[in-house]
Amino acid sequence: MATQQTRRRSVTKTHERIAQLGWRHDYHQPVPIYETRYVFPEKAKDPMKQVMREYLPMQLEKDDRVYGGFDAALRAGMPTKADERWLQVMKPLVLILVYAEGAAGRCMSVVMDVVPNEELLNGYHVQFVDEVRHIGMQMNLARWYAKHTPDPAGWHRGQEYMAENMFTRAGINMFSHSFVGDPIAAGFTMMTVIETAFTNVAFVALPDVATRNGDFIQATTYSSVQSDEARHISNGYATMLTVLQKDENIPLIQHDLQQAWWIVHAFVDPFVGTIMEYFSSDRSDNESYLTKWDRWIRDDWYRSYVEQLGKMGVTVPPDMFERARERLVAGLHHKTAPLAFATWPLQFWKFSPLTEKDFDWFEAQYPGWYDEYGATWEAYSALTDPEEGALLLGGLLDGAPPFCWTCMLACVLDDDMCHRTCTDAHGHERTRFYCSPECKWLDETNPGRYTGDRNFFDKHHGKALSEVIVELGLLRADGRTLIGQPHLRKDQMWTIDHIRDCDFEIRSPNITQARVLGLPDGNWHDPDDPHGAVMGDGNGFQPVTLYGGGRGRNGDGRVVSTPEDLAAAAVGSTPWVKL
Amino acid sequence: MAGEIRAGERRQRRGEDPERQFQWVVPAGRKASIYEDLTLDTQPSVHRFLKSGYHCSFADGRGTWDDASTALDVVTWSAFRDPNELWERPYYQQGAQCEREIDAAVESARSQGLYADVDPDWVAFLRRDGQVPAFVEHGIWAIATRRSRAALSDALTHGIVLYAAIKQRQAQALVIEGMDLDDAFGDVTIEAARERWLREPAWQDARRLVERMGTIRDWGELIVVAGLVVEPLLGVLLRRELLLRGALRAADPVTPAIARNAQREGAWWQDFAVAFARFAVQDPEHGAANRVLVDGWLEAWTPETLAAVDALEPILDGAPGTSFADARAAVVADQRELVAAATLDPARPAVVA
Repeated sequence: MATQQTRRRSVTKTHERIAQLGWRHDYHQPVPIYETRYVFPEKAKDPMKQVMREYLPMQLEKDDRVYGGFDAALRAGMPTKADERWLQVMKPLVLILVYAEGAAGRCMSVVMDVVPNEELLNGYHVQFVDEVRHIGMQMNLARWYAKHTPDPAGWHRGQEYMAENMFTRAGINMFSHSFVGDPIAAGFTMMTVIETAFTNVAFVALPDVATRNGDFIQATTYSSVQSDEARHISNGYATMLTVLQKDENIPLIQHDLQQAWWIVHAFVDPFVGTIMEYFSSDRSDNESYLTKWDRWIRDDWYRSYVEQLGKMGVTVPPDMFERARERLVAGLHHKTAPLAFATWPLQFWKFSPLTEKDFDWFEAQYPGWYDEYGATWEAYSALTDPEEGALLLGGLLDGAPPFCWTCMLACVLDDDMCHRTCTDAHGHERTRFYCSPECKWLDETNPGRYTGDRNFFDKHHGKALSEVIVELGLLRADGRTLIGQPHLRKDQMWTIDHIRDCDFEIRSPNITQARVLGLPDGNWHDPDDPHGAVMGDGNGFQPVTLYGGGRGRNGDGRVVSTPEDLAAAAVGSTPWVKL
Repeated sequence: MAGEIRAGERRQRRGEDPERQFQWVVPAGRKASIYEDLTLDTQPSVHRFLKSGYHCSFADGRGTWDDASTALDVVTWSAFRDPNELWERPYYQQGAQCEREIDAAVESARSQGLYADVDPDWVAFLRRDGQVPAFVEHGIWAIATRRSRAALSDALTHGIVLYAAIKQRQAQALVIEGMDLDDAFGDVTIEAARERWLREPAWQDARRLVERMGTIRDWGELIVVAGLVVEPLLGVLLRRELLLRGALRAADPVTPAIARNAQREGAWWQDFAVAFARFAVQDPEHGAANRVLVDGWLEAWTPETLAAVDALEPILDGAPGTSFADARAAVVADQRELVAAATLDPARPAVVA
């Protein structure tokens, strides 16, 4: 039988033809359901030129390799060989990353709703299809872990737990920024910051840690995800180059890029930094999270990407990037980790005490670490046996920092923590705490954005810990043993009776701290609201600027909330106020 | 929520380790399918597990997802399932298979000299109008992908996104065929097809219809309109009655591979839309109100879609071997069956041809 090699069509010519499928509507104009402040030039350029005839077989091939990998991992006995400490933390990590993939896909939809440039739309849509792929693969990974790893408890109600977990709901909050609000600002959050800056950490560095801990199926899955990210990064760059063509967009870009940067940093750095360093048993990697951050975030993203935007007229002050790094140096994730570990009864995965080997590694990477944190970790180890009848949380929660209204993680850096007083819809004064002036700035400049029952402990204030555990369904199939455990042993497992014996009452640090500081009510939980939230923004909106003085329209160092004023502040014509 | 508890207990009774199952998944059948395990609740909702509400909202008060994004209402959107359970892996398998079949048809046509047998009048038709349906597919793609984000459950969002992806694949397949025909016969350009789409009177009602679809704000309306009206009447007329039947009669070795695959994908979407409409109009609490809405959408869109179909009479009759009258009768009859399958009334005046 005669055979002939498929004649290769020029991708460029094919794309040129496909690009002509769009047309200017004459009979009915498209009606968007989202609004943007950005204006668009006539022309844009899609650098990827993705054609479905090439795209579909390529993705299928990658899928085949990943799904084949699951079978191989099973045959190789990976579930029992991989490190248990690591496998446990996959429960929150994989599920929040599934949400991230969904957020990225929906980001494409909102961007497509407002971007009129036909040249870009195909690339956006292909990314949404990629994200559907990523959700499928990562949920399959979750399913595989649930079916095959030694201790699956937590996976079985994973999506329920994730929605109300104190850490993963902060992730839901952050990733939602990529498809809520102005679609272009959302696009910057996802494509320019999350995907361009942070996927190297999440999808390259974390798989490396996974492999070191014997979990090569996580690495197989996420490496395949990362192979799509180059196209997504390219979508972000094409979007940036398109809106940059209009001078009136530049102040908006400067403003939105900084806000996107901060909210992503505020969640990803403490969350991923803790997972990477506190849930790895393998200590062969001499590169710390901070070193990786310098390589991928500072050098490859900030210096090679953001700074280069200056040549195109975008001047983003370096303050926020430097501030983020300073916070890491000050121990952002080292101070978050003990709180995460101390709250183990409220988590849906198990924790493992740090060992001498861990201490040595931390000390080598972060000199002085043991002096600052060692005692806490020693105390944690001492209290893992239920017969001790004591919880580290008992000692920590009273003095624990409040949770940040904006990023929803704990305000662990004393010098950064700040607050403001807001009046709710009923005229009642309440206090919002923030982990940083930047998070405060995000709240002040985006009235109405941060909603829901946000402070994790407020609604549990005054309840017994055992009651909250039962309420959140955090018990294993026997109805007694907690899913979360402070150790990995099969014996000495904590039960709900052990917790009851501890007789521990939850006190919200937000409520406690407000009282201690003599501030108005720190409680933002309303038991009469369907979602437990104090309703109405009513937040006494008084936007402020950051970094370096300023007069503002009212001569009081503040700017008002119009996009023009925010944009002016961002570009520097209204200097930042150093808080 | 009672359903979930029962589902978990059911598994326990079967002796399955409850901690090795995704217990939040409420299977449509006896046991959760892999589609259900990998899809359900990947889009969180305040009606499911987000008990603390949406944490990120629009300045105008809309939450992360907005119940008002569709006029339809049901007890729980999370109970909807794609009847064919399409998820990413079978989507890529099927899509790649479509493209392989088309490529194989092209290679076969070239290597076996099959292009020489094609009816010259059909070649003239393809040169003139063969790529114009790509504009229909592309236009539907553009609105489908925009409305996918607002849909109120993961199964719905994924269905709309994959539908859009299928539309884009179909549009591109027709354009690439134009390139292959250009190689084989010459003078087959996208510019000429674009001109026909923009200027030829027979195509203008179709263009007006597709542009009107771009004004749909309600994702539920989009599924109903695209799935029960535009696709079965206009889409099937173009893909099956014009391109598939016409090509088969004209000894065209490639177009049938394109149209047949598109029809197979179209059948998936029709099933999805029928299931969606049934789900809405049979909802125990809101079914009656939904039925009024869906009927209203059928009434609002069917006349204009039929007008677009009727305007294509010269195109179909101008293609060798196709009969507009037969084609119209076939698609109208099939669409009536589809509407009836959705438990809607096909005898409503607006739906009657």
